[in-house]
Amino acid sequence: MNTVPLIEKTVHTVSSVMTTTLADRASSAMPNEWWWVVVWLAVGLAAIGALITALGLVLIYVERKIAGHFQCRLGPTRVGPFGLLQTLADTIKLMVKEDITPTEADQAMHLFAPFLALVATVLVLVVIPYSPILQIVDLNIGVLFVTAVSGYGVMGILIGGWSSNNKWSMIGAMRVGAQIISYEVSATLALLVVVLFSQTMSLAGIVESQAPGWWVWRAHGVGFLAFVIYVIAATAEINRTPFDIAEGESELTGGFHTEYSGLRFSFFFLSEFVNMFAVSALAATLFLGGWMPFHIGLSNSFNSIMDMIPTVVWFLGKTSFILFLIMWFRWTFPRLRVDQLMRLEWKILLPIGLVNLFAAAIVVLTRLFFFPGVS
Amino acid sequence: MTGQAVFAITFYALSVAALSLAFAVVTARKLLRAAIALMGVLSMSAGFYVMLEAEFLAGIQVLVYVGGIVILMIFAVMLTRSADLMEKDPTFLRKLLGAASSLSFFCSTVVVLRTSPFLQSAEPVTATTENARVIGRALMDYGPTGYVLPFELVSLLLLAALIGGIVISRKTLPFEQPFTSGGDLPGEADFVVPLTQSDKAVEGGDR
Repeated sequence: MNTVPLIEKTVHTVSSVMTTTLADRASSAMPNEWWWVVVWLAVGLAAIGALITALGLVLIYVERKIAGHFQCRLGPTRVGPFGLLQTLADTIKLMVKEDITPTEADQAMHLFAPFLALVATVLVLVVIPYSPILQIVDLNIGVLFVTAVSGYGVMGILIGGWSSNNKWSMIGAMRVGAQIISYEVSATLALLVVVLFSQTMSLAGIVESQAPGWWVWRAHGVGFLAFVIYVIAATAEINRTPFDIAEGESELTGGFHTEYSGLRFSFFFLSEFVNMFAVSALAATLFLGGWMPFHIGLSNSFNSIMDMIPTVVWFLGKTSFILFLIMWFRWTFPRLRVDQLMRLEWKILLPIGLVNLFAAAIVVLTRLFFFPGVS
Repeated sequence: MTGQAVFAITFYALSVAALSLAFAVVTARKLLRAAIALMGVLSMSAGFYVMLEAEFLAGIQVLVYVGGIVILMIFAVMLTRSADLMEKDPTFLRKLLGAASSLSFFCSTVVVLRTSPFLQSAEPVTATTENARVIGRALMDYGPTGYVLPFELVSLLLLAALIGGIVISRKTLPFEQPFTSGGDLPGEADFVVPLTQSDKAVEGGDR
């Protein structure tokens, strides 16, 4: 296989650490000690649950603080020191609120939709490599898996909007559907560029392939362009402003979740924030090297200092950077109109994405990478 | 041993889920519920692909069917009517015809399955962990074992379908009216094209 030398040449200490996932541990325990399988699965579930809770609490607080400072106010300050407990208070409020299902709604579907939306997000979190030893499953179809399961999220929103039997919900859901289906094309084209570069679809493998340098700058702008396209398309896929016509408060009251209240509303709300984390983590993994530390060519002393920073910190740092970028978009840009939205995707992003993919193929064929295997 | 037990349990769980969901598809009175159940059936078959160690196929199954086809079906249902859309109680003739056709299909399926000799190779097929790579190479291979011709034909068909879709959904302008993008381009929004009589009759008008 001609792809091996590129990966084998990586001599940095961190990249040589073998990736061990929870699923690996579980399957190796399968033949003789089945109880370990149960233990590892339980650990995985608990970890994902804890992660989602923590993300919900932290991200909502951060978003409100950032929004506050962008608008020259302080954001939440009252509950707890620096308002840190504000999200907790809001969560309790949401949990004890009455859970209303409209009489004319399709009851079962109305109850089912928020779960579907949240499940789609959880499935994405499962495959992300947080550090070389911290990953639940490493699928060899990682990128494809991520693209595929996002379909369930759309389904959740569509079903939620439709089953509410409310015209605003319905219009909101239709807009979400159209928007996500459109922008998925560009996002996938951008992901394909990285798949071409790293010649694998496994997310851990993609991180490993970035040991010589991150894809965002290793390919003469092609990687960077793919990164920009991905961030734009991903922002649209998670319905964040400037792509939030699906919720457009001024015209649709609340969009697809107009009829939701209490805990079920919070499920949609939570899945939006966790989705934001998921796309940021994916962008960091695919384009910014995931948990891979920042290295400069032959400067060994510099590299070893960089290696001292834990890999999880690298991962979280990169992810937070993109999270901040997406929040920055939200509090800076005005909302796009429907026709502008479609024009941006089909007439601007898609052609650029296609040409970029073609350019990526040329780069790969001619092996014109920067740092082709630093030694 | 445990591995086999887990395999068997997973298989039966998936089968029961797939069959009951398939039953729900045909018995659901609400069209949208039928579509959701169909999504479940297709996801379960993705599960079967995973059990056969064809992860790539499973991923494609979910991507194409759940992310594409079922969403399109739901779109179509949503465009038609509201939540209380129910199928009417079919007439006796329709019931009879339905029963006859499904029975004949069932019989022919059973006969085909009973009579066809399933070719089993002596040694088990070794599934590679890189089946995406293998499939990709086979699709692009123009040797005797490759599938590059069907692949190209399918892409040509898809291209034709795309262009056809664009042509069908395109705005047809009345004779001798200059083309505008309807406010799509910057600076064009102020320019109003006077509507012709036939235009007023058909459209609510976003121009």
